[in-house]
Amino acid sequence: MDDQVDVVVVGGGSTGCGVIRDLARRGLDAVLVEKGNLTHGTTGRMHGLLHSGGRYAVSDQKSARECIEENRVLRDIAAHCVEETGGMFVKRPEDSEEYFREKLEGCRACDIPAEVIDGEEARRREPYLARDVEKAIVVPDGAVDPFRLCVANAADAREHGARVETHAEVTDVLVEDDAVVGVEIEHDSGPGKRVHREPGTTEEIRARYVVNATGAWAGRIGEMAGVDVEVRPSKGVMTVMNTRQVDTVINRCRPKGDADIVVPHETACILGTTDEEVDDPEDYPEEEWEVDLMIETLSELVPALKDARTLRSFWGVRPLYEPPGTGTDDPTDITRDYFLLDHAERDDLPGMTSIVGGKLTTYRMMAESISDHVCGKLGHDADCDTADVPLPGSEDFSVLRDYMEEFGIRSPIGRRSAQRLGSRTDDVLGGTDPNPVVCECEGVTRAEVRDGIEQAGSDLNAVRLRTRASMGNCQGGFCTHRIASELAQEYPEPVARDAEDELYQERWKGQRHALWGRQLSQAMLNHLLHATTMNRDGDPATTDADVDFGAFDAGVEPGGGGSAGDGSESDDSAAGVTATDGGIDAAESPDATDGGTHGDR
Amino acid sequence: MTRHTENGDGADGTDGSHGDGGPNDGDRRGANDAQRCGCGGTDGTPQPNVPEIGRDERPAIFVPDGGDEEGAGAGPSETDGSAAADAPRTATDGGVESATGGSDSTELDPDAYDPIDVFPEGDLDLRDGADSCYKCTSCDTSCPVAEVDDEFPGPKFQGPEQWRLKRKDDHDIDESITSCSNCMRCDDACPSSVPLSQMHNEARGQFVEEQMEKLSLEYVRNRILANYRTSARLASVVPRLSSFAMNFGPARWAMDKVLGIPKEREFPEFATTTFREWWRDRGGAQIENPDKRVAYFHGCYSNYNTPEVGKAMVRVYEHFGYEVMVPPQKCSGTPMFANGMLKDARRHAETNVENLVEAIGDGADVIASCTSCSMSLRQEYPELFDIHGIEDVSDHTFEALEYLRIHEDLDGALAESDGPGDEQSFAYHAPCHARNQGLARQAVETFRDVDGVEMEDVGDSCSGISGTYGWKSEKYEKSMQIGEEMFDHMEDAEGEVGMTECPTCAMQMEHGTGYEIEHPLQLLEETLVA
Repeated sequence: MDDQVDVVVVGGGSTGCGVIRDLARRGLDAVLVEKGNLTHGTTGRMHGLLHSGGRYAVSDQKSARECIEENRVLRDIAAHCVEETGGMFVKRPEDSEEYFREKLEGCRACDIPAEVIDGEEARRREPYLARDVEKAIVVPDGAVDPFRLCVANAADAREHGARVETHAEVTDVLVEDDAVVGVEIEHDSGPGKRVHREPGTTEEIRARYVVNATGAWAGRIGEMAGVDVEVRPSKGVMTVMNTRQVDTVINRCRPKGDADIVVPHETACILGTTDEEVDDPEDYPEEEWEVDLMIETLSELVPALKDARTLRSFWGVRPLYEPPGTGTDDPTDITRDYFLLDHAERDDLPGMTSIVGGKLTTYRMMAESISDHVCGKLGHDADCDTADVPLPGSEDFSVLRDYMEEFGIRSPIGRRSAQRLGSRTDDVLGGTDPNPVVCECEGVTRAEVRDGIEQAGSDLNAVRLRTRASMGNCQGGFCTHRIASELAQEYPEPVARDAEDELYQERWKGQRHALWGRQLSQAMLNHLLHATTMNRDGDPATTDADVDFGAFDAGVEPGGGGSAGDGSESDDSAAGVTATDGGIDAAESPDATDGGTHGDR
Repeated sequence: MTRHTENGDGADGTDGSHGDGGPNDGDRRGANDAQRCGCGGTDGTPQPNVPEIGRDERPAIFVPDGGDEEGAGAGPSETDGSAAADAPRTATDGGVESATGGSDSTELDPDAYDPIDVFPEGDLDLRDGADSCYKCTSCDTSCPVAEVDDEFPGPKFQGPEQWRLKRKDDHDIDESITSCSNCMRCDDACPSSVPLSQMHNEARGQFVEEQMEKLSLEYVRNRILANYRTSARLASVVPRLSSFAMNFGPARWAMDKVLGIPKEREFPEFATTTFREWWRDRGGAQIENPDKRVAYFHGCYSNYNTPEVGKAMVRVYEHFGYEVMVPPQKCSGTPMFANGMLKDARRHAETNVENLVEAIGDGADVIASCTSCSMSLRQEYPELFDIHGIEDVSDHTFEALEYLRIHEDLDGALAESDGPGDEQSFAYHAPCHARNQGLARQAVETFRDVDGVEMEDVGDSCSGISGTYGWKSEKYEKSMQIGEEMFDHMEDAEGEVGMTECPTCAMQMEHGTGYEIEHPLQLLEETLVA
C-alpha cells in the first residue's frame, strides 16, 4: 500500500462522487474515501430538487444561471436519476406582487424558461393546490435521486480505474515537510465491500493531491491538516409524505422563509425546509416544531397535506461557507455559491484543496472546476467530458415495455424498476428466476435487491439507497427480514441478522418524527409483528443468552402429559432445533427459518 | 367520503343536504326534482308508477359521452334542459364525466377538499386511499380469487400498492385487474377502511378505457356479459326460443370457442312473462298508502328470468300494507363495474338515479331483492359517479328482507303464521355482496325459529361465480374451484333446496349441486301470504 496514487478524494457525497468520476475519466489514478455510505452526509439528506435556478433568480443570479445550465446537462447525462416534473412558483393573495414580478424578471434575466399561468390553470395542472392560489410562474424544476446519481458517478469512476472505499473514515491527514501527502483511513470492515462482523483495518493512502470534499465536515479534515475551514453548517428539516399530493415541484413565491417547497420524489412528496445554523454537523437537535411547521405552512399551498400520512422526517446540514469578513448573521443570507480553498495559497499548505458551499444541482460543474484545478496542480493535461457522456444507467433506455412478457413481473413494478435501473434493466431483471417482489410498497423485486447486495455487500442501507426497498408505507415492517434473507444466500446468519437490525433501526430513526395517526398505527403493527413472530423484542440469539430449547420442544417432563405426540417423540435435539428456533442454526441450514412455521403450530 | 353533487346545489337550497332523509325533507326534494326533471308521470300525485308500456323503456336521457369536454358542464341532467346552471365541474368520476370539487360545503372553501375528487381529466385520484393501508394483508388472505389463482397478485396490489406507484402521465394499469371478480370481500376484510373495491373499479375502468383493445373478442365478450340486460331484453321478446337457442349445443360450442363463454354453463331460462309485464297486467299496485311506500328495484334478473322473486316481493310488501312502486329502471351496473365498463354503467345509473330520486321524493324508500343491486346503489354509485341525487339514492336503498326486519315485526308475523305448507330444509349461502352490507346472517336469523323451516348456513366461502366472472371460459375452472367449499357444504347440509339472495350465486349453486334455488322472499311469501 505504499504506492502513491494521484489523488485522494475525501467525501462520498455528490461533489466527491462527481470529482472522482471526472478525475478517473481524465486518466488520473484516484481513490474516493467515505466514512459511511455514499451520500451519507448532506447529499442523502436533501429534498431531491433539481433546481431550475428559479429559487435563486432574485437573490443570487450567478447560482441561478449555473443551475439552469446544469439542470439541462443532468437531464441528458443522468436521465435515470431525474424525473422531469416541472415546477411552479405559486403566489397566494398575501404574497407580494412585486416579488412575483421580480422573480419572473429574474428568471428571464437568467435564461430560465418561465411562463405565468393563472390560478385556475395552476389548479388544472395540480388539482390539490389551494383554491386561493392566484397565479404561478412555471419553471423547469425537476426531481433528482441523489443516491442513484452518486452511485452512478462512483460506478463510472470504478469503470475508469478509480477505487471507491465506503465505510472508510479518515482518521488523519498526512502532512510531511509542510505539505499534505495523503490520508490515514480506518476501514470499518476491511477494504472492499462492507461485510458486517469483519474486523476493521487501518490504511495509509499516499497521494500526490488530496481533495477535501466533505462539505459540512470540511472543517474537521482541515483541522487534521492544521488549517481552518470556516464552514457554517446549517440544518434543515425535510418531511416525507406517503403519497404524491403533487406531481410538480411547488415553490412558494416569496423572498425567503421556512417551509416553502414540496418536491414529488419517486412515490412520495418531500416537504422542506428550515435553515438554522448549528455548531456540529453531527449533533444538533431534531425538533418537533420543525416538522409541524412544514406541514402547517405548506398546507397553505396544498391543503391536503394537513390530513395526509407522514412517513418520516430527516434533517440535513448545508455546507454553507462565506469568505472571511463577510459577517452575515442569518444563514439564509449566506451565498449558495461554492468556493475552492487552495490551502497552498491560503495557508501555505500545498497538496490539498477544500471545496465548500454549492448545491447538488451544480455538483458536476463544481467537480469539473476542482478537477481542472487538480490537473493544473499535477500538470496533467486532459479534457473534461462529464457534461456529454451519460452516466452508467442513463444510456438510451425506455420504460415502455412488456414487463410480464420479458421479466415475468407486473407492469407497475416493472416500470418503477426500469426507472431506477435505467439502461441496466435487462442485466438486472433478466437473470433472477423466480423473481418475487421483496418490497411491496416500492415494488422492488429480488433481482434488484440481489444486484444491490452484489454492489454493496451486506450493507442493507446501501441496498436500500440503490433500490428504495423499505422506503414505503411500512418503512421496512414487512420487508426488512425478506431483504435480509437475500443476504443469507451469501453470508452467514449473524451477518444477515446484524444487517437487518441496522436497516430496521435506520427506518425507525426517521419514523420517530411521524408518530401520530396512521404512521403511528403502522409503527405499532410493525413492532408487534416483529416482536411476536420474530422475537425481535428480545431475541435470545442476539442477547447471547443460554436458551434451553429442549424445554420448549419436549416440555418440562420429557414424554409427559401436556405435549403429547410429536414433542415427546422427537427427543433428539436436531429435530427439535429445526422445528422451533426460527433460524438460529441458519449457518448450517439456510432453510432453517422455515422452522418458525412449525413452531407456530 | 361524502361527495357533494354539484356546486350549484347550494343555490336552490333543498337539494344540497345529504343524509338527512326524513320523509318531509324527501317530499320537498322530490317535488323540486319533479319540476326540475320534468319527467312525467307523477306530478307529485301519489300514483303507483305504472309503466306506460310493458317494458321499462323510456327514452334514454344520457347524451353519449361528452366526457372530454369538461368546462362545458354538459352533464346529462343538464342537457335534459332542467338543471340550474351549474358551476363548472372540477372533478370527475370513472374516466367518464366530470363531477365536482367535492366539498361538503357549498361555499368556496379553500380548505374543503375531497382528496380523491380532484382530477379534471376524468379519473379519480385514489392515492389518498393508499395512506390508510398498513400492508397487513387481510385483504389478500380473504380474496377468493387469489386463493385459487397463483397468477393473481391480490387486492392489496390491485388497490393501495398500485395506486401508490402511480405517477401523473406515467403509469399503466396492470392487466391482472381483469382477474378481480369484484366480490368485494376485501372491503369487508380491511381493518383500516382502504377503499379497495373503489380502487379496483376505478383501475379496471381505466384499464378497459385506455389499454384494452376495443376490437378484441375479450372486450366484446365482456361487453356482452356486462350488458346482460340488453341481451335479456331482446331474448325475452321470444323467451321460449331464446331459452332453447341459448342452450343449444352447437351454439354453445361456438360461443365457447369464439367468445370464451364456457359451454359447461347453462344459460338461465327466460320467463314467458316478465315481472314488468305481470305488474302491468295486474294493474300496478293493489295498495295505496302514502305513509308506507317503497320503490322496487327489481333488477334485470327478477324481471327477465325469475319474476317469481319480484312477485313475492310485491305480495309480501303488500301483505305488510306497503304501496309498491315500480319505477322505470335499467341495470344497476354491477356486471359493468366488474368488467370495467364504467361508461355503460354511468349511462344506466343516470336513468336509475333520476327515477329513484323521484320515487324518494314521493316518500318511498328503494328496495332491491338482489343484494348486488342494493350494493351497487348503496356503495358503488356514490363512490364512482357524481349524479344529482345519487347520495340520496344511496341513503334510501335497502335490501328487501333487511327493510322488513327494520320496520316490521317480522319475527312476530312469522311466529303467528302456520309456517309453510310442508317441512322444508334449505342450504343457505350468503352472497359476498350481502356480507358487505352486513346481511350475511339475515335469512338464517329470520327463519331459524319458524316452524317447519330448517335453515342451514353453508359457511362464509364465496360461491365463485361473482356475476360474470364464472361466465368466462378462462375463469370457469377457477370459479368452480372457489365454489367447491360451498358445494361440499351444500351437499352436507340437510336441505335439498338452496337459498340465496343473489341470482348469479343461485346459478352457481344450481350448477354445482343440481339443487333448486330459492330466494328468501319466496319463502316469506309462502309462509306469510299463502
